[in-house]
Amino acid sequence: MTGDKATVWSRLALLVVLLWTLLPIYWFLKNAFLTPDEIARFPPPLYPLEPTPAAFFNIFGIDYTLVDGTVRRGSGQANQIIRGLINSAIVSAVVTAVTLLVVLPLAYVFARLDFAHKNKLLFAILLAVALPPVSTLIPFYAMYIQLGLAGTLTGLIIVTLTITIPFVTWMLIGFFRNLPPVERLALIDGFSRFETFRKIILPLGKSGVAVAAVIAFLFAWNEYTYALVLVNGTTANTLPTAISGFLFQHPEPSHLAASLALTILPPALVAFFLQRHIADMNLVDPVR
Amino acid sequence: MARIDLEQLQKNFGEHTAVQGLDLMIEDGELLVLLGPSGCGKTTTLNCIAGLETPSSGRILFDGEDVTAKPPHQRNIAMVFQSSLLYPHMTARKNIGASLAKQGLDEQAIADRIAEAAATVDITDLLDKLPSQLSGGERQRVATAKAIVRQPRAFLLDEPLAALDAALRLTLRSELVNLQKRLATTMVFVTHDQVEAMTMGDRIAVMNDGRLEQIGSPDEIYNHPTTLFVASFVGSPPMNFVAARDIVDLPDTDGGAWRNLASRENGMGVTLGVRPQHLRISAEPNGGMPTTVFALEHLGRESVLIMEDDRKKKLRALVEPGFKARVGDRLFALPDPKHCLLFDENGNAMAKPATDGG
Repeated sequence: MTGDKATVWSRLALLVVLLWTLLPIYWFLKNAFLTPDEIARFPPPLYPLEPTPAAFFNIFGIDYTLVDGTVRRGSGQANQIIRGLINSAIVSAVVTAVTLLVVLPLAYVFARLDFAHKNKLLFAILLAVALPPVSTLIPFYAMYIQLGLAGTLTGLIIVTLTITIPFVTWMLIGFFRNLPPVERLALIDGFSRFETFRKIILPLGKSGVAVAAVIAFLFAWNEYTYALVLVNGTTANTLPTAISGFLFQHPEPSHLAASLALTILPPALVAFFLQRHIADMNLVDPVR
Repeated sequence: MARIDLEQLQKNFGEHTAVQGLDLMIEDGELLVLLGPSGCGKTTTLNCIAGLETPSSGRILFDGEDVTAKPPHQRNIAMVFQSSLLYPHMTARKNIGASLAKQGLDEQAIADRIAEAAATVDITDLLDKLPSQLSGGERQRVATAKAIVRQPRAFLLDEPLAALDAALRLTLRSELVNLQKRLATTMVFVTHDQVEAMTMGDRIAVMNDGRLEQIGSPDEIYNHPTTLFVASFVGSPPMNFVAARDIVDLPDTDGGAWRNLASRENGMGVTLGVRPQHLRISAEPNGGMPTTVFALEHLGRESVLIMEDDRKKKLRALVEPGFKARVGDRLFALPDPKHCLLFDENGNAMAKPATDGG
């Protein structure tokens, strides 16, 4: 009896959570498939009666002819969207690669080796994670103006790394610490420290590597605060800031919705394909 | 195959001394068991032999050659770790072959060696499985195959059977000894289980507090322990100990000659030790210690009678399986003087005085 009741309540809770997260996403996705007339209608349609992919062509500057012969013109913001997309892809790819390159050995060393002042250094990393980005925004901006890094992808990548590196390191330390003590085995088998890391630890910890990559990628892809201050309105503009800028440019709602869909597509794909790895990985507080 | 010598081996971890000036000689081809409670330094000693730990001082010699500064794989030893540790992401075959790639063997030779090792421990069917797909016993066999495949100078085993259930431990124990005798390779086996040590070792080195208490054959360790610690650690059920000062004032009765063992040595700090099978139990006063029955444990072939003396100290005796006693019964426990051991105040065995008893 109580078991049934619990099931009912947990299902209900699940339903609420699903509505809470999925409804807004559904609402804007729906708008991407509507015509401007349909969006302007009141009450708004709950689902697209005649879904059209026109907006997805338009945001890349391509005209689209509907079945009834009307032509939907390419968006005037197409240049900004395409540039934002390319910039976002570059920033995310570079940040992910550099983060992995730095974080994997760093987290491994913290997790598995003993050295002087280890805990102090760990707390330095924690501090870097705990610092709100806004507090470093102005210093970075002032510094970047002098260094000529404001409005450049390089500048944005460096700033993003200051967040992803400590955060992902902190996360991976717990993961590496939970691996079995295979280093001793590897030492007996004649592997050097570096070989052990490359040939034993990394393949063994591929879930951790995958999750680290995902976190770094998502963070870089979604980064907004720094981009807004450092690159907004320049040629180094990224997708989130570019799209937020449209709010002041009176775009077609369906174009706005389609570009938003563009921004959530990579995270959605990543989450979908890597959920198994994420479930594999149990994250543990690195400070015992 | 190698003879291993440890000379004044010392290992400190900061303030803590794990191994203290250890001298140990391990004969070529022998199975030496390092026995001791947890934290006694036996695993640290093994790790020093393996090269996983660098000694703070002292030397390690393999066949007279100083290997103290050599990295593990240059010593060509094989090690089996606690719970038979394997690389979790590699198949049994890859696990077994991992050490061979570093020996400069070609692929065919590696495949042959793996097949041979696998056949030796009967795991040919399991070679393509991952460790997570193997049972505890199978993992142990794979770990053993991994050890023998490199044809090492010595096997070093760190409690490889500790995580297995009792029945499997029994089987694998004899398999390991059999294998070691067939290969005639020196083996150092670390355990805290005295039954494992007694059954497997050609010789047993009992360690306590980073020091060697005694080294000798299982027979010597069991029958002629040189220290109180060894006497108390080895044997199941454990040896009984009676302080001399507790028995001198027992009422003098017939058959009480055994008490002279303690009092004759005039030190009141003397401790008398007697194994459970050497206590004679009687309901009538027999010159032994008056005790109260605490519990009776049936083991099938025999029973263990647990008694309390008047100071609430426990005594254990092996009795016939048909022995009947109820909790609270008064019984007398008489040690057999021939089999009594004496230890001085510092816990060292004393020369056994000649007795007229028994």
